[in-house]
Amino acid sequence: MDALAAIRETFFQECEEQLAELESGLLAMEGGDQDPETINAVFRAVHSIKGGAGAFSLEALIRFAHVFETALDEMRSGRLAVGAEVLKTMLRAADVLADLVRAAHSGSEDEHPSQAALSEELKAMSGGAHDESEAGEDDWGDFEFKPMTVDMDPAAEAPGTSGFVIRFKPRADLYAKANEAALLLRELARIGQVAVELDASGLPALADLDPEAAYLAWTVTLTGEADEAAIREVFEWVDGDCELEIMPLGGSESSADGFDLAALMARVSDDGPARVSDPAADIDVGSLIAALSPDAEVPAVAVAPEIVDAPAKPALSVVSSAPEPAADAQGAAHMRKTEAGATIRVDLDRVDRLIDLVGELVINQAVLSQRVMEAGLARASAVAMGLDELEQLTREIQDSVMAIRAQPVKSVFQRMPRLVREVAAMTGKPVRLVTEGEGTEVDKTVIERLADPLTHMIRNAIDHGLESPEKRAAAGKPAEGVVRLAAFHRSGRIVIEVSDDGGGINRERVKGIATEKGLISAEAALSDEEIDNLIFMPGFSTAAEVSDISGRGVGMDVVRRSIQALGGRITIASRPGQGSTFTMSLPLTLAVLDGMVVSAHGQTLVAPITAIVETLQPKAEDVHSLGGHARVISIRGGFVPLIDVGMALGYRREPLEATQGVALLIESEGGARAALLVDAIQGQRQVVIKSLEANYRQVPGVAAATILGDGRVALILDIDTIVSVSRGDMRKAS
Amino acid sequence: MSTDPLALAESLEMTAAAPLAKALIGRRGQPLVLDASDVRRLGGQCLQVLLSAQAAWAADGADFQVCSPSPEFLDGLALMGATRLCLPAEASISPVQD
Repeated sequence: MDALAAIRETFFQECEEQLAELESGLLAMEGGDQDPETINAVFRAVHSIKGGAGAFSLEALIRFAHVFETALDEMRSGRLAVGAEVLKTMLRAADVLADLVRAAHSGSEDEHPSQAALSEELKAMSGGAHDESEAGEDDWGDFEFKPMTVDMDPAAEAPGTSGFVIRFKPRADLYAKANEAALLLRELARIGQVAVELDASGLPALADLDPEAAYLAWTVTLTGEADEAAIREVFEWVDGDCELEIMPLGGSESSADGFDLAALMARVSDDGPARVSDPAADIDVGSLIAALSPDAEVPAVAVAPEIVDAPAKPALSVVSSAPEPAADAQGAAHMRKTEAGATIRVDLDRVDRLIDLVGELVINQAVLSQRVMEAGLARASAVAMGLDELEQLTREIQDSVMAIRAQPVKSVFQRMPRLVREVAAMTGKPVRLVTEGEGTEVDKTVIERLADPLTHMIRNAIDHGLESPEKRAAAGKPAEGVVRLAAFHRSGRIVIEVSDDGGGINRERVKGIATEKGLISAEAALSDEEIDNLIFMPGFSTAAEVSDISGRGVGMDVVRRSIQALGGRITIASRPGQGSTFTMSLPLTLAVLDGMVVSAHGQTLVAPITAIVETLQPKAEDVHSLGGHARVISIRGGFVPLIDVGMALGYRREPLEATQGVALLIESEGGARAALLVDAIQGQRQVVIKSLEANYRQVPGVAAATILGDGRVALILDIDTIVSVSRGDMRKAS
Repeated sequence: MSTDPLALAESLEMTAAAPLAKALIGRRGQPLVLDASDVRRLGGQCLQVLLSAQAAWAADGADFQVCSPSPEFLDGLALMGATRLCLPAEASISPVQD
């Protein structure tokens, strides 16, 4: 990837963050948040997208972001009242903006179908505030001084803490050593917001110019979170080949004199940077500032002194869309606030590589422990104790590395409000989405693979779960349905619930359909829970007609399979007239697993601890044969199927005598219990999961593999499959 | 007097500066149109040649224009604070005045 493509990629990553910020801000405002900082954050998000889009000449995106931003600015300044309707439009605009960003990312320059209409709506909202001066007719003719209030909040305006002025003059050697001034400037633009001023005063006449000499110098005003060390790093390789001065931006003395000027500049730019159609006038302002107060805080502007109008050369809008100073002054204030939570971007591959290596380390440490044991060293020996410490350390490293990949579920939750809006519009049902526990953290891979099932479940909840407003009114419920999305941690797993306050599952109908489709026999006596779980069966779909929303030929069985593929379980609880709750329980990570190491017919296997309820030694009188090889075991008055793991996996043909083995009482998804009969339990340990599918192929009854301390491969049991296969065998037997 | 556009090279980096200066000097005294549509990279040394040429043409009172600049070219100019290179001749400021 060349440098530009990398920057572009970063821009789009940042866009995603800005879009999320935008949407959550708008939703907070919809929920009654009146904090000016929220409006500012929303404004900044759109503003930053516009600024970045400008640098890449993404025209459709720039145009829409500009209109959107103007409307938001009206809101920010209090000229546009924040009302429910206004926010609805803003949310739709946020959706369109998101689509435009994604389209631009995939290389499309097309306008969004709703773009024109929504632009008009936004323009109408912001009244006359939209300067059409992008077309360039305006100049300074209508510029007038207006009374204005100036925010004197020292925290927001304190100069000298948020940036640097960098004076940089390359020497010929810099170029001769194959370094490039443009790349250094680009690097600076990458670590913060820059205003670049070119000093070409040293440039000789063309005839006298030595093409390989260096005449240009730059003054860069950099704002943002970058510190001096970061700036020095940019120039690390050209140290000595250039003149370089780095000074903190502004000084305390500049606040008195420089302040009004900066505010004035902000005001001018607020009225539309694109109005400045006379570059000479523009440069006058720049030089005026320089002359009046060389140390004055010049708010961060990408190429502010270069503001020109667009029309003669449309491509130049790259410049006219530079971020306005006012916004960035506030942006800088915001950044100072968030500085504490500084983050870095790391290529995911590197993290994955680290996780893999730590996995190897865990295995290696286990091998070492085993060797020490085999060598007959005492537990209290220095070596064994050292190994114990190593084991603890390894665990800690593993936890820390896993924490790097952990992310709040917010990133997937925040895609849902839009989905809810769209599905609500399509179905004509008013819906409110309530989210809880957005900060709950889980492995990034789990998060990514959660989006599809969650989307499907939320669609289902609105389309099938919630009743029509009329039915709701008849049932004495508020017209607006509520879909709740919640996440929380429970015993080492993450639990995600999707619930609705609709009519609940119509069990009669579900049973009718299942019978009709031949999924169950007509006379089968099923518990309520079993009926509810029928909707997870392949080939089941309750929608009478295939709807655009949820009937896409995939049903809840696909949801269940994708959750199972993540090592998770999904269950449903439904109460007639009160709604349904889908509960997904997922592992926090896909890389390690706490397992019970067992043996069956000489094979070492691992059963996930999370599925095991208890272990017991079967007594002869508790085990009853149902004919064939099917057996049940009586546990505290109830009977559960007894499944011989060795037979289920085909290791042996004749069942193990129950009294000679150990039974693991397990609970599969849906709460069904069964007892797995194994020869013996070897112990309990954390194992590193190695995909069997990626390294071999899928094997029914086996979820994955791992490498044990003695270097042997052990298979990790897929409890749910073993139970359901055995249940089928048992039906046949009975 | 030829006003055939002078097509700028795709890569205006260090090694392109000398040939560029030579080509420009060869066009001195005629209106000049630079075709920047192919430019993918713009470096500091080519920029100084272009700026100096712009000043020279302005001093001569001859037309100096950049036509169909590529986004990368404009991006490079914006990055180096030199978008004035793309301004119409009458509006451009001679860099020497800075």
